[in-house]
Amino acid sequence: MEPRRRVGFFTDTTVCIGCKACEVACKQWNQLPDDGLVFTGLSYDNTAHLGASSWRHVAFIEREKPLESQTTGLGAFSWIFHSDVCKHCQRPGCLENCPTGAIIRTEFDTIYVQPDVCNGCGYCVAGCPFGVIDRRDDDGRAWKCTLCYDRLKMDLEPACAKACPTDSILFGELDELHIKAETRLKQLHAQGVSEARLYGPELDGVDGTNAIFLLVDEPEVYNLPPAPVVPQKTQADAWRSVAVGAAAMALLAVGTILSARGRR
Amino acid sequence: MDTTTTPRPALSFGEAAQMKVREHERAFPVPAGTRSVPPGTTTAATAIELAETPTYYGLPMLKEPVWIGAVPLYFWLGGAAGASSTLSLMARIFGGRALDPLARRARLLGAVGDVVGAGLLTYDLGRPSRFYNMLRVFNPRSPMSVGSWVLSGSGAANTGALLLQNRRGFLGALGDLAGGVGGLLGMPLAGYTAVLLSNTAVPVWNLGRRSLPLLFMASGVASAGSLLCLGATSERERAAAERYAIAGKVGELAATAALHLEVRRASPRAAQPLTRGLSGALLTAATVLTATSLVGSLTSGRSRRRARNAAMLGAVGSLLLRFAVHHAGKQSARDPRASFSSQRRALSGQGMTSRASST
Repeated sequence: MEPRRRVGFFTDTTVCIGCKACEVACKQWNQLPDDGLVFTGLSYDNTAHLGASSWRHVAFIEREKPLESQTTGLGAFSWIFHSDVCKHCQRPGCLENCPTGAIIRTEFDTIYVQPDVCNGCGYCVAGCPFGVIDRRDDDGRAWKCTLCYDRLKMDLEPACAKACPTDSILFGELDELHIKAETRLKQLHAQGVSEARLYGPELDGVDGTNAIFLLVDEPEVYNLPPAPVVPQKTQADAWRSVAVGAAAMALLAVGTILSARGRR
Repeated sequence: MDTTTTPRPALSFGEAAQMKVREHERAFPVPAGTRSVPPGTTTAATAIELAETPTYYGLPMLKEPVWIGAVPLYFWLGGAAGASSTLSLMARIFGGRALDPLARRARLLGAVGDVVGAGLLTYDLGRPSRFYNMLRVFNPRSPMSVGSWVLSGSGAANTGALLLQNRRGFLGALGDLAGGVGGLLGMPLAGYTAVLLSNTAVPVWNLGRRSLPLLFMASGVASAGSLLCLGATSERERAAAERYAIAGKVGELAATAALHLEVRRASPRAAQPLTRGLSGALLTAATVLTATSLVGSLTSGRSRRRARNAAMLGAVGSLLLRFAVHHAGKQSARDPRASFSSQRRALSGQGMTSRASST
C-alpha cells in the first residue's frame, strides 16, 4: 500500500536554542510518565538519551572547541544544541525485527508501535541502529516517537514542531523538507558555516530517514551513528552459516550413528 | 449523571497515558547514561583516542539489549534440544534396534528442551501474557519470528513423537513422521539463535555474524552429546553420545577462534568485549572448560568416571559460552566507539566484513 502522505521532520540544529520546549510538549501531549529526576552533570542535558518515555531529547554539546564560522570572546568555545528524535527510517531495524507485527508503517509513512499488540520481546531495542526505541521495565512494552500519529490523523502538526519557538523543528511533506534542508545548507555554506552538513537522506544503510537533521559537526558529536545499517542487510551472511552448520550437523549425526552401529 | 458537567482532572487520551509506572527507583535504578564509562577510558592510549574520535560525553549510542539470563539459558537448552533431535532422527533411520534407546533419550531431551525453552522465552517477555502474539504473524525478515515458528514446530513435533513412540500402525507412523519433522527442525533450532543475535545493531554480535551460527551449532552438538552421555545406560549409547560431543567440542573451539578473528578483523574496538570484562572472563572460562572436556573425553579410555566428568565439563562449558556471548553484546552496546569505529572503517572501506550498505 502506498502511503497517503509522506511526512517527516527537518531539525535544524543551527537555530536550536536548547529551550527543551519540544521535550516538554512531547511529554505533555503524549502524557508520557517521567523517567526519574536525574542530575547528570553533562551541560544542561538531564535527559541524556531518547528512551521509552523520552521521545524528544535535546543534546547540549558544550566544549572547548570553536566552530570555524564563529568568533567567541572567551577563547576556544562552542555550545551547540540538537533536538534528537526517532529517525522513522525507510528500512527500520525495529519494524523489520518485530516478531509480532506490533510495529507498523502508517499511512503517513511513519513508524508506529501498537501498544495493544507489543508483547515486550525487546528485539526492536537491539535492532535499532540509532539506539532510539526502548522498553520500560515497569510497563514491559517498547515505546518510541509516534510522530504524533494521533495529531496527524486530526491534521495537526506534531507537538514538538508546534511548540518549537525558533522553527528549529520543521514538520512537513518529505519532498518539501528535502528542498528546505538543501536551501538552508546552501545558505549556511554561503555564510561561511563550512561545517554544516545534512544527516538522514544520505544514510544508505537504512535507505534514508524521514527525520532529517542539519548538523555542524561529525554525527558522533551528537551521539549519532556515522553509517548505520539495518541488520537485515547483513542477515544473509548468518543464514548461510546456518546452512553450512546444518549440513555439518546432519553429517556428524549420521557418522556418529554409523560408527556406533559398527562397534561391538 | 451528566458527564459533561462533571469536572475531571485530566483526559487520558495521550498515546502513553496507559503506560504502566512503578516508583522511579525501581524503574530507573541508575540512569543508563551515568551507569557506565566506556571500557578502557583510563589508559593513556584511549585518552588520545578520546581526543581524536568524538563521542557524546562517552554515553552509550545504542540501547543495551534488555534480555535477562533466561535468554542465554534458552540458547543453550534450545541448541542442545536441536542437536539432540537431529541425532535422534539419524539414530531412527540408520541406527537399527541397538541404538533405539539412544534415539528415545535424544528425542526426550529434544522435547523437554523445546518445552522448557519456550517457557524461558515467555518468562523473558515484558508482557508474558501476550506470548501468543509471537505466532500472530510470520515475518521472514525477523529471525525471532522465524525462530518462534521453528521452536513451536519443533516442540509440537518432538512432543508428538514422544507421545506416539510406542504406538503401532497409523499412530506409530504419525509418530515417526513427527520425529522426522522434529529432527529436521533441530538444525535451524540450534542455529537461528545466533542469527537472531547477529541480526542486531550490537557491534560484536553483528560483526561476528559468519562464525556465530557455527559456534552455536557446534556448541549445541557438544552439549547434546554431553547430556546424552550423562544419561546413557549402555556402553554403546555412551560411546555414540561421546563421539557426537567430541566432534561438537572440536567445532566449538574452532568457531570460538573464528569469532575472535572475524570481529577483530572488522573492528578491534568492537572485539574488546570478547577478551575484556565479565564477558571476556566468561568466554575464556568457557573455552578452558571445553578444551579440558575435550582432552578428558579423548583420554578417558574405558573409565566411566572420567567420561562423566568430561561430559559435565562440556555441558557447563557450552552453557558459559552462551552467557559470555550474551554479556559481550551488552558490553558492546554500552561502548559508543565500538559502533562508531566499525562504521567509520566500513565507510573508508577498511572493514572487510562491514561493507554491507550496498546490498
